[in-house]
Amino acid sequence: MKNPYLFWGLAIIVLFSCAALCAPWISPHDPSFIDSQNLLMPPSAQHPLGTDGLGRDLLSRMIYGSRISLSVGIIAVGISILLGLVLGSCAGFYGRLADTLIMRFADVMLCFPTFFLILAVIAMVEPSIYNIMIVIGLTSWMGPARLIRGEILSLKEREFIQAERAIGASDARIIIRHLIPNAVGPVLVNATLGIAGAILLESSLSFLGLGVQPPIPSWGNILIESKSTLGIAWWITVFPGLAILITILGFNFIAEGLKKIIG
Amino acid sequence: MGNLLEVKDLKVDFNVEGRTVHAVENVNLRIGMQETVVLAGESGSGKTITALAMTRILPSNASIVSGEVFLEGKDVLKMDERSLALVRGAKIAYIFQEPASYLNPVYTIGEQIIEVIMFHQGLRRAQARDQALTLLSQVRISDAQRVLASYPHQLSGGMNQRVFIAMSLACKPALLIADEPTTSLDVTIEAQILKLLVELKEQIGFSLLFITHNLAIARKIASRIYVMHRGRVVEQGLTQQIFEAPKHFHTRELISAYEKIGRL
Repeated sequence: MKNPYLFWGLAIIVLFSCAALCAPWISPHDPSFIDSQNLLMPPSAQHPLGTDGLGRDLLSRMIYGSRISLSVGIIAVGISILLGLVLGSCAGFYGRLADTLIMRFADVMLCFPTFFLILAVIAMVEPSIYNIMIVIGLTSWMGPARLIRGEILSLKEREFIQAERAIGASDARIIIRHLIPNAVGPVLVNATLGIAGAILLESSLSFLGLGVQPPIPSWGNILIESKSTLGIAWWITVFPGLAILITILGFNFIAEGLKKIIG
Repeated sequence: MGNLLEVKDLKVDFNVEGRTVHAVENVNLRIGMQETVVLAGESGSGKTITALAMTRILPSNASIVSGEVFLEGKDVLKMDERSLALVRGAKIAYIFQEPASYLNPVYTIGEQIIEVIMFHQGLRRAQARDQALTLLSQVRISDAQRVLASYPHQLSGGMNQRVFIAMSLACKPALLIADEPTTSLDVTIEAQILKLLVELKEQIGFSLLFITHNLAIARKIASRIYVMHRGRVVEQGLTQQIFEAPKHFHTRELISAYEKIGRL
């Protein structure tokens, strides 16, 4: 196989995404159905990954939880990449004052530990799924912005950009049609890593109770509910933990594979 | 013969790590309608900078200190960005030394030519594609369909230069500035490209400003020659005059250089 990283990464993520999309059809049970006869049941034929402290089927909860975790990851990174593209390419292309203002602002943002910045914002707004996506996006654009600025700085001196200018193309046209497509490689790698980071961040937030609120399941808040029963029901901790691990591994594999292609 | 373009007292400075370098000083030149003019000189003599200043596409550390560039009676150096965008490409087009690096590596040739045609002539994609094919056959590319679907790195240097010429002609410019367009090509391809440029000029009727250090080329194609040395025009005149009675020592150097090569 020419690119095993990309293959396995994509295989994992496609599998998980399909599961997330088909959640209502493939879940063996209703994820919020409380079965008081079957509390903390270990994995069995009826409940392949066991049940939690309220008798809810763990597999079903994890399948529904993957919807939240994956969409938070993808949308949060979408927001940060979009912001990073706009700010980074303006800074790189126009230089001087625009560059100083944008990059110093990015430096200031980078000075705050991201996690505490998010905690501070979440403390003020309601911790819904959408707010978490937006907050993660708004606090993680600095990396992509720096990356894009660097790419644009070297690309804008290239001859084909001068040629574009010589045939009368406007700044916007040069940036959107000619600079960004050439800069997109490293950004893509950064984005896949960013998705992994965002999923981890959402899980951490949910674990602290500041993320996705119960009864909606997310991998992070399934983990927090497992805390009290860790000694007697290992499966509630291990499986969501594994799911997070494998997903992040998948995205890291994709990033590694893309790096090889882009060179 | 009416003048298409007239440069008066052009002065361009470069800012190199805080120091000011005079790259072009008091350059005067004119180009007539449908005339072929050669701007000759050694590397670093300010030929390219003079040419780039004509549409203000200089590098960011260069600035035009003074001078006027009249195109059809209007001063290009005083235009705002909007009217300037209508000059670039549409009135004055360029072709450059390394054609492959002047084409965007992530798009196919077709996408790039079609974009330029759509942008400048406001055509639909299908019509623009037809015109791209016509243009490519005009620059003597026989398998135009294949070339349209290729990326710049898949084509040879000569092929890329033909493509670039086609792209420049897409906007029907009044003046084509060719900045050492054959320097990176081998001799047989060089001859083909030169022949092509001369034929196209006859066919379409644009003016040609040809920049080169090779006076052999100048002798073949130019009606008048300007010789630049250290940022100044040191000699100018009809091609014949320059070759028969060169006045400036630098012109004599350039001529003897090419005669030496001829004798080898």
